[in-house]
Amino acid sequence: MLRRRPAPALAVLAAALVAAAGCSSQGGRQAEEERAADAPALTIAMITHQAPGDTFWDLVRSGAEDAAAKNGATLEYSSDPEAAKQATLIRTAIDKDVDGIAVTFAKPDALQGAVDEAAEAGIPVVGLNSGIEYWQEAGLIEFFGMEERLAGEAFGDRLDEEGAEKALCVIHEQGNVGLEERCEGLEEAFGGDVDRLNVDGASMPDVSSSITSRLQEDDEVDYVATLGAPFAMTAIDAVAATGSEAAVATFDTNEEAIRAIADGDLEWAVDQQPYLQGYMAVEGLWLHVANGNTLGGGTRPVLTGPSFIDAGNVDEVAEHAAGGTR
Amino acid sequence: MGPAPALPAPGASEKELRAGRVPPLRRLAARPELGSLLGAVVLFAVFFAAAEPFRQAGSLATVLYAASTIGIMAVGVALLMIGGEFDLSAGVAVVTASLATGMTAYQFNLNVWAAAGISLALALLIGFLNGLILVRTGLPSFLVTLSVFLMLQGLNIAVTKLVTGSVSSRSIADMDGFDSVRAVFASSVPVLGTEVRITVLWWLLFTALATWVLLRTRAGNWIYAVGGSADGARAVGVPVAKVKIGLFMTVGFFAWFSGMHLIAASGGVQQSGEGVGNELLYIMAAVVGGCLLTGGYGTVVGAAIGAFIYGMTKQGIVYAGWDNNWVMFFVGAMLLLAVVVNSWFRSRAGGRR
Amino acid sequence: MTGNDRGADRADGAAAPDTAQPGGAALDGAEQGGTEQGGAAPLLRLIGAGKDFGNIRALSGVDLEVHAGRVGCVLGDNGAGKSTLIKILAGLHRPTSGTYLVDGEPVEFSSPREALDRGIATVYQDLALVPLMPVWRNFFLGSEPRAGFWPLTRLRVAEMRATADAELKKMGIDLPDIDAPVADLSGGQKQVVAIARAVYFGARVLILDEPTAALGVKQSGVVLRYVRAARDAGLAVVFITHNPHHAHMVGDHFTVLRLGEVELDAPRSELALDDLVHHMAGGAELDALEHELGR
Repeated sequence: MLRRRPAPALAVLAAALVAAAGCSSQGGRQAEEERAADAPALTIAMITHQAPGDTFWDLVRSGAEDAAAKNGATLEYSSDPEAAKQATLIRTAIDKDVDGIAVTFAKPDALQGAVDEAAEAGIPVVGLNSGIEYWQEAGLIEFFGMEERLAGEAFGDRLDEEGAEKALCVIHEQGNVGLEERCEGLEEAFGGDVDRLNVDGASMPDVSSSITSRLQEDDEVDYVATLGAPFAMTAIDAVAATGSEAAVATFDTNEEAIRAIADGDLEWAVDQQPYLQGYMAVEGLWLHVANGNTLGGGTRPVLTGPSFIDAGNVDEVAEHAAGGTR
Repeated sequence: MGPAPALPAPGASEKELRAGRVPPLRRLAARPELGSLLGAVVLFAVFFAAAEPFRQAGSLATVLYAASTIGIMAVGVALLMIGGEFDLSAGVAVVTASLATGMTAYQFNLNVWAAAGISLALALLIGFLNGLILVRTGLPSFLVTLSVFLMLQGLNIAVTKLVTGSVSSRSIADMDGFDSVRAVFASSVPVLGTEVRITVLWWLLFTALATWVLLRTRAGNWIYAVGGSADGARAVGVPVAKVKIGLFMTVGFFAWFSGMHLIAASGGVQQSGEGVGNELLYIMAAVVGGCLLTGGYGTVVGAAIGAFIYGMTKQGIVYAGWDNNWVMFFVGAMLLLAVVVNSWFRSRAGGRR
Repeated sequence: MTGNDRGADRADGAAAPDTAQPGGAALDGAEQGGTEQGGAAPLLRLIGAGKDFGNIRALSGVDLEVHAGRVGCVLGDNGAGKSTLIKILAGLHRPTSGTYLVDGEPVEFSSPREALDRGIATVYQDLALVPLMPVWRNFFLGSEPRAGFWPLTRLRVAEMRATADAELKKMGIDLPDIDAPVADLSGGQKQVVAIARAVYFGARVLILDEPTAALGVKQSGVVLRYVRAARDAGLAVVFITHNPHHAHMVGDHFTVLRLGEVELDAPRSELALDDLVHHMAGGAELDALEHELGR
């Protein structure tokens, strides 16, 4: 499993052939084609804070892999939910002397040291998904993602539009700053009451029973807001089980969530377009290394959301979701 | 019935009293850490062959760093396991110590070193309580420390939220003493031209120190005895309860040390939800290194090798460019292999260990 | 058991014949070889000792004397109160009634350590050895010699190994590897290590709890030999057993416990092996049973 680098011998051979054919060795359409062919086959490391087995990250990863494949680059994906271990993975990528690093910047303070080391080693680092407030200060060159608080606010506004009165914000990972911000944004924008409910996202039975017992205890809740698509599916079942009238809406999507929206079980989803985050992060790095571009100019993040998926646009989205890209 | 045993003057040496001579090779095979050492060598060779970046000195430094973050705690956990107990609260206790340092420094405007002192006292207290509950109730350590683990997990998040209003501690990176704390707990030192993280040096130092304590001091003798046969040790006057409480407090000390590294390395901010699951990695390192889960047997050097195996597997898979999804599978397979090899060696070595 | 009997006869020949003491219930003071302990006050003495656990009476009204250079055997069936008696002597339990005298002074031990400090060492059935630890570490466990100043106080490892090896050699155990774990030793060897340890640490009274219980004939012989050796070295030995044959081979005085009370108390001179076997087997009760079954 060695890294696939272009063999210099091949390039020399190609050059020799061109020369031997007696053609013009400069300019023309040929030169342009050569530039594409000679484009460095880059190795790009993507290091996320993914906990094992979350569908959201599959989308991020497929986006990254598609972008890498299109550009003839190699993607090396790794993840660890603990900040210190994620930092160690970044150092591993530096040791490997990759051409670019894309990192989810969920815990900026813990990752700063590793990011600085990458800069010293001359490896460009872009951020994605989390850390929209910190990336620039931390010296990342680009950022692709959604402002969590903004998404939360958009969710809250939408709740007002729907005439909701009391919402339950289901936090599936205690201590995750991004999730907390979603709830905070929701609380700020929403005119009604918001209760938070902490559940153990690693255990679906726990998610289900926590939501069930909460709904049984409090029948005023008319909207359940989950912060991840898999939890929305569980929430739908839990709501049905209690016979509550509450509707379910969620942040983030996956294939099942989109089907549920189409079926009318799920009201809407705030989509941050994870596929796009992964894709753009790799694409942005590739452009930066191969062509010296900087998306957002190094000062503005590239926003991938929030966008809403609801009954109005779900059919279109569903098509792509079936292909594993939405 | 055979002939009457003669009753010679005591002092006469008898054939029947001679245990068989032990061949040196078999003695070596009986070393608790041998299996893990072989495993480490094989793994190293595999990654060395399969992953080109693995061959650089800088990569070895990264592997050692990953190993040291587990290995420092594994020193305490191995001592405790040799003493016949284990501590499921060790993983979150690290984060508790880190949070305690961060929050006391920030909230009371303390020099970070003073906050570190308070945090140390807290970590030792947690260890003390673990031990005290254990010896007072006589419950198995699994139950006692599992309860403490869950309580700490809740406390970490609840208290942090109460104090700071968010789920992580506030940054103390600009406070007095932080720079020197970082120099002690999370700096890098050049060793033979490579930047090596300081935790690696601490890890080696602690391993050496604990090995000395275990093999060359009375405390070490007592640790083995308490783990091997608590009743036997008590009968010859070993203060079993004190030894056990002391061991839990030792784990507390290392939890504090690891917590100090965490907060120093993460720029003075600690997420309150972390640390869960690491306790099993510490235990894994000790077991891979040849410590018996039932106590009384093992070495700290073995635990260090176990931690090294973990670091090597975890990072080596990334260096080799293999799919990250398989990391935990390989770590688990390593554990199983190590345990099987260890028990095989032990049965081959003949002892009833 | 003829082999063992012959051994016992020889043991008899080697020891001076016992003489009854006026004390009656005493494990007689040795008068053999003119040892100075002869006739001296008993090292240990229980007067009317009893022990209740809640409303269960484990032991009551037990008188016992233990003299230097003598082997006093305590026999009894399971549940006769042997282990309670040992625990009182060893300092693990305090008697709920009666008095415990050491060197003539009443004592109240609150831990085995205190008893040990007075030279009363107990070797339990389960030996108090740690199976996984090397012999030399076991030998010094709880009383490790140390050197250096805190925090660098360290074990005198070389001295510990050499001493353990020498002491075991004195007892006739020559181990090829003093680092071998105790688990690798035979049952008899383990007993001897435990006894050697107690003797080395200045025990004057050796309390042996069923030392031959789990052993075969050959291994039992090993242990019994060292019981005699310890006696000949001037130690007082309390030998607890349920095996009258073993007891008779080495004992100078016999106390049979039954349901927590002393059923029989006699010096060797007044007791034949057959009587002892008979008493141990159940005595009068057995006679009645034999009669009833009529065979």
